[in-house]
Amino acid sequence: MDYSKPVDAELFPEGCERCSLTKFTGWMSILGVIFLWGLYAAVRVLGFGLGETGMDDYFGFGLWITFDLAVIALGAGAFFTGALRYILNIDELKNIVNLAAVIGFLCYTGAMMILVLDIGQPIRCWFGYWYPNVHSMLTEVIFCITCYCIVLILEFVPLVLENRQLMKRPFIHALAHNFHVYMPIFAGIGAFLSTFHQGSLGGMYGVLFGRPYLFREGFFIWPWTFFLFVLSAVSSGPMFTVLVCTLMEKMSGRKLVSWDVKQLMGKVGGTMLIVYTVFKCLDSWYWATDLLAGQGLTFDQMFHGWIYGKWLFWMEHAFIIIPMVVLLIKPLREKPWIFYLMLFLTCASITINRYVLTVQGLAQPVMPFDSWYSYAPNWAEWASCFLVFAYAAMVLSLAYRYTPMFPQEAELNRK
Amino acid sequence: MDRRGFLKFAAGGTVGLVASPIIWNTLYDAVYWTQNWGWIPRLKKGESEYIPTVSKLCPSGTGFVVRTVAGTPVRTIGDKNNPVTHGAMTALAAAEAELRVSPARLKTPLRRSPDGAYVAITWTEAETLLKQKLQEAGSSVAAVSGDPTSSINEVLTSILNQRGSSDFYFMPDEEQPAAVAWEAMGGQGRLGYDMENSDCILAVGAPVLESWGVVAANRSAFNRTHPVAGEPTQKLLYAGALQNNTAAGADLWLPMKPGTDMALLLGVAHLLIKAGKQGFAAGLANFASFAAAYTPEKVSGITGVPVARLEAAAKALAEAKKPLVIAGSALGAGGSAGPVMVAVAINMLLGSVNREGGLVDMPFPVSVVAHATEYRETMRKRFVNYTQAVAAGKTKAPALLLVYAANPLYSLPADSGMKETLSKAGYSIAVASFMSETCEACDLVLPAALGMEAFDDVQTPYGSGRVTYALARPVAKPFAGARSAGELFIALAQELDLELGVKDMPELLYKHAYALGAPFRAMMDEGRVFTAKTALPASPLFYNWEAIRSAASARGAEGDIQVAPVVVLGMGTAQTAIPPFATKVVTDYQLKGKYSVAQMNSATAAKLKVNAGDHIRLVAGNNVEITVVAAIFEGILPDTVSLVAGLGHTAFDQFSKGKGSNVLALTSVCREPGTGLPVWGLAGVKAARA
Amino acid sequence: MSSEVKQFKIRWGMVIDIDKCTGCGACMVACQAENNVAPAVDGSNKLRSLNWLTVFRLSNHKPFPDHEVAYLPRPCMQCGKPSCVAVCPVIATDKREEGGIVSQIPPRCIGCRYCMASCPYHARYFNWYDPKWPGDLAQALTPDVSTRMRGVVEKCSFCHHRFMKAQEAAVAAGRDPMDLPDGAYITACTEACPNGAITFGDLNNPAHKVHELIKSPYAFRLLERLGTDPQVYYISKREWVRREGDNYLEHEKTGEATKQG
Repeated sequence: MDYSKPVDAELFPEGCERCSLTKFTGWMSILGVIFLWGLYAAVRVLGFGLGETGMDDYFGFGLWITFDLAVIALGAGAFFTGALRYILNIDELKNIVNLAAVIGFLCYTGAMMILVLDIGQPIRCWFGYWYPNVHSMLTEVIFCITCYCIVLILEFVPLVLENRQLMKRPFIHALAHNFHVYMPIFAGIGAFLSTFHQGSLGGMYGVLFGRPYLFREGFFIWPWTFFLFVLSAVSSGPMFTVLVCTLMEKMSGRKLVSWDVKQLMGKVGGTMLIVYTVFKCLDSWYWATDLLAGQGLTFDQMFHGWIYGKWLFWMEHAFIIIPMVVLLIKPLREKPWIFYLMLFLTCASITINRYVLTVQGLAQPVMPFDSWYSYAPNWAEWASCFLVFAYAAMVLSLAYRYTPMFPQEAELNRK
Repeated sequence: MDRRGFLKFAAGGTVGLVASPIIWNTLYDAVYWTQNWGWIPRLKKGESEYIPTVSKLCPSGTGFVVRTVAGTPVRTIGDKNNPVTHGAMTALAAAEAELRVSPARLKTPLRRSPDGAYVAITWTEAETLLKQKLQEAGSSVAAVSGDPTSSINEVLTSILNQRGSSDFYFMPDEEQPAAVAWEAMGGQGRLGYDMENSDCILAVGAPVLESWGVVAANRSAFNRTHPVAGEPTQKLLYAGALQNNTAAGADLWLPMKPGTDMALLLGVAHLLIKAGKQGFAAGLANFASFAAAYTPEKVSGITGVPVARLEAAAKALAEAKKPLVIAGSALGAGGSAGPVMVAVAINMLLGSVNREGGLVDMPFPVSVVAHATEYRETMRKRFVNYTQAVAAGKTKAPALLLVYAANPLYSLPADSGMKETLSKAGYSIAVASFMSETCEACDLVLPAALGMEAFDDVQTPYGSGRVTYALARPVAKPFAGARSAGELFIALAQELDLELGVKDMPELLYKHAYALGAPFRAMMDEGRVFTAKTALPASPLFYNWEAIRSAASARGAEGDIQVAPVVVLGMGTAQTAIPPFATKVVTDYQLKGKYSVAQMNSATAAKLKVNAGDHIRLVAGNNVEITVVAAIFEGILPDTVSLVAGLGHTAFDQFSKGKGSNVLALTSVCREPGTGLPVWGLAGVKAARA
Repeated sequence: MSSEVKQFKIRWGMVIDIDKCTGCGACMVACQAENNVAPAVDGSNKLRSLNWLTVFRLSNHKPFPDHEVAYLPRPCMQCGKPSCVAVCPVIATDKREEGGIVSQIPPRCIGCRYCMASCPYHARYFNWYDPKWPGDLAQALTPDVSTRMRGVVEKCSFCHHRFMKAQEAAVAAGRDPMDLPDGAYITACTEACPNGAITFGDLNNPAHKVHELIKSPYAFRLLERLGTDPQVYYISKREWVRREGDNYLEHEKTGEATKQG
């Protein structure tokens, strides 16, 4: 045994260095404390009821739904990168597709954890399958998300199996190999499911014809928000994957993915962003000038005071228009900090979008005699979101430490 | 195990699990669990019965049908056959089945032990104690009743009279000042109002659609005179500081500063006299010349009512065939006699006395119990004069003080002397249904049955235009250890060998029915309600302008900001506090968390530099200080804030305790010039951001 | 958009005369008692008090002294085209039964609250905690409406159990349960309103008062422009009140924008 290496070095991916087990345990403990705090909130919510949150009858959706929608959009890197890698065979993406899959897995399982808390009767969660209402966008979301979650598990498992020690067992080796053979099928199913539920999540809002802030017309049974959600997810998903990758590089001090691959991901996301930005702006324009007027409302009436002011609306739009333009200009996008910043702005815009649709859409009083009320998430809602963050960070740390997530890593760090 | 074996095992296990009932049964059980948690109460099945009776908790004696299931009341539903209230309900009466079992309900007699805590005792002990204390007290007994419509009062007055005490009082109410005013104007009977037949009502200060008079009857009359989507056959004009519930139903709102009712009424009188409405009676000329000083401009200056609205009100009255003017107080107690005098005078000008749709000179309820004091006599006595005298040491404190169906510690101003009287009294006994502030201060608390649990009655409440008589019949057993107060007092009298002339409550009620010529059997068996148009021979009314003049000399309100109290029945009464099922009726412009909400218009808010939601401190003339939350509402006079009454309870249960402030804390007792009536002075307050 | 609108032979509906309502709250109390809605210790937090029927205070938005006030009781609108039914993922709410009442089945509800988000009237309420009847209050529960559990949505049912009772009574008396006389079935709030502001009946039945009332030029529905087609109508002779019933652009007049065939 080589005492200069961490005690668990045998488990590390081939040719990769990792920090000491003590340091790693320390880091995991910090995450564990956050995790326990979130767990306490979750236990309270499940034990006493949703009254433990800051939600109320006016804000039946709040931070949790915003969180779910945001992570599902940002986790879209998994299906989109996967589809490009395994179906369109863009080979360079193999260098980041593992990470994309893990992020997707974490985002979706995290969202599922929050959803279990968020529905009032978690024990009845299977009713969505048993008594489905085929007219509801949410039914489609339940179907697709749970199915896609299974797909993501299937995509995640081979990575775990590829651990150096596990791979030594012939059975696991064979299993991992088989998984890889079938990966294009998973990717295909994943792409289909994910596109649909990303769309359905948007459709959930667009169909609410009782909510002028949210209602959109559309194509066949799908309101425009259906398509906007798909587009926003495929543009921000790859970008988020790059951002997470970069964050991991900063934290580990090691190069994980080459700049070219990142630029490629940026190109993929950026291209989608152009489509999204164009349609998003058209949609907002039509909504503000035409759709609202038909319901006797004005654009100004959709906003109120500071927290529901127009700044969020403008910010949301600016944060996609600016990155779209900047990423088109080669000298700018080749500067790492500008590149990362633009990626971040896009992700922020998508998050703002999910927030305003969830919270502001409900805050806007439709009955003229009703009032604007404000909603602020309480500690229990924050804590359970942090539960998911901690969970994601722990799994990601373990995956990084023990699985060959980054095929380029050994190469890039060779001294 | 080799690989093949493992795969076989896994596949077999999966198929087996799916084929077995384990998963499916668990799922169905899950459905069952999630709707049958043990801590969520199940419904009780049983035979439903619908029994008509009347409410004794709602001051208007609302007639309702109690629905019982297996003997337990679960609903109170308006009784369409009740000829007084015609099925109209109040928010309070609608909550009565639940109030019956509310956490504040008294379940057993309680005696204060030497360490100050209450000890539950048996009824036998309680009755022995009651008898012993009464015997010890000799003639030094005082009693107050908060239920003027009940004949149980007669039993009490008879006991007191036979023990040699004349200290029986009614709690201050709306009728006491009105009786003074009516008598001052020459009225010989009891003042009544034929609201339902009037075609134009001006209510000054009196919230006739929410709390004044027989409100359920008023509302049913409003219903009948205002057909859905049709033309109303009655106009309602309301003068008050705030657009309250009554203003919402009124055709015209006269925004009137609190305490300026006299000036407003005199202004209306003046305009009517000018318009030729000069119903003749002695003193007309003097009254007319006194009222002449109240020109619309002057009145507008005093009251805040725009001249145009004042004139519109006078015009509506002048043009109406059967106009009726009513004066009353927003609080329902502690009002002045002066405004009622002027209201009577205006009705005289309009020829609206003893005419259909006008004022009615009615007979007073008559006592049937031996040695009982007549209703009218009791109505002349002022409880606050007594308590203040006891507090000041001018009158000897009673050896025994009995509080029946009242909560004076909460419902009287702080300087009424009630607190001192209770502490000075040798022994204090509360007979009540709910654990009120007064109960908490008494030495012995006796749980009384509700109207729906015992025999009781509702004799013509003030505000009615007809003689009415209704019986409260027991539709259910008294809750827990509660007992009929009437039977308790009758038994006590029998124990003390006093003569009542009745042996139990049914006999007492029978005698009343008999005296009125009411069909007792039908009332007892079917819940019928008796009504009669019994007008007395016309009283020799006159314009007592001197009495009016001295009442008009009352000091106006002081302070920067006036307080306009609002009474809503959804907040319960002083005896009930907020019913559990009415907390949701309490609005966010009445209560916010533990603070009362003060409504004010934006001009006032700007002046005070407060925004909606800010905390503000109100300091009354009596130095009482409360913190409230500001709310903006344009339907209120400038420099005025409204506060809802019925908050600030320190007793009762979680549904009432610790919510907001008692608006009565801001008032102090004043004396009305001329009549000497104790009135609750709502002197202005100083307001500042907290 | 969205699915077809089912047509009913009977459409139970309400006509609420706002000019008659003075906001006393008797309807709200009666509703809670009839439908076994648990009491709230602090009912002043309107965002967390479960109330099938809520009375709103309306303002004409003019400053003192030209200000006017009105009260608007808001039950479930039992929309002809309910925004909630289409969105519920588990069919816990439906509009299928003759009479056109939008049902709500708490044991089926998973508590996702999507229906609450969809309803512009805020007619739907969530059980944030288990309902509680402190002390002996549970004794006063009626036998008609099951108690709910935490984590489910509930709403006004037009006292549906009374409809069933009225039908049973009609059958027992040998009458047609699908042709109830006016007044044979009314809701608890209708019954409790002391001012007679609420009229209840079959909107389709010419023998019922509501059938005529909804033709009044003063009749309107809340947020008609959204296309929810409510079965609750309001009446007010005051233009400003009718204007408060829907969203209008400055130049638009009431009664014009909403006629959409």
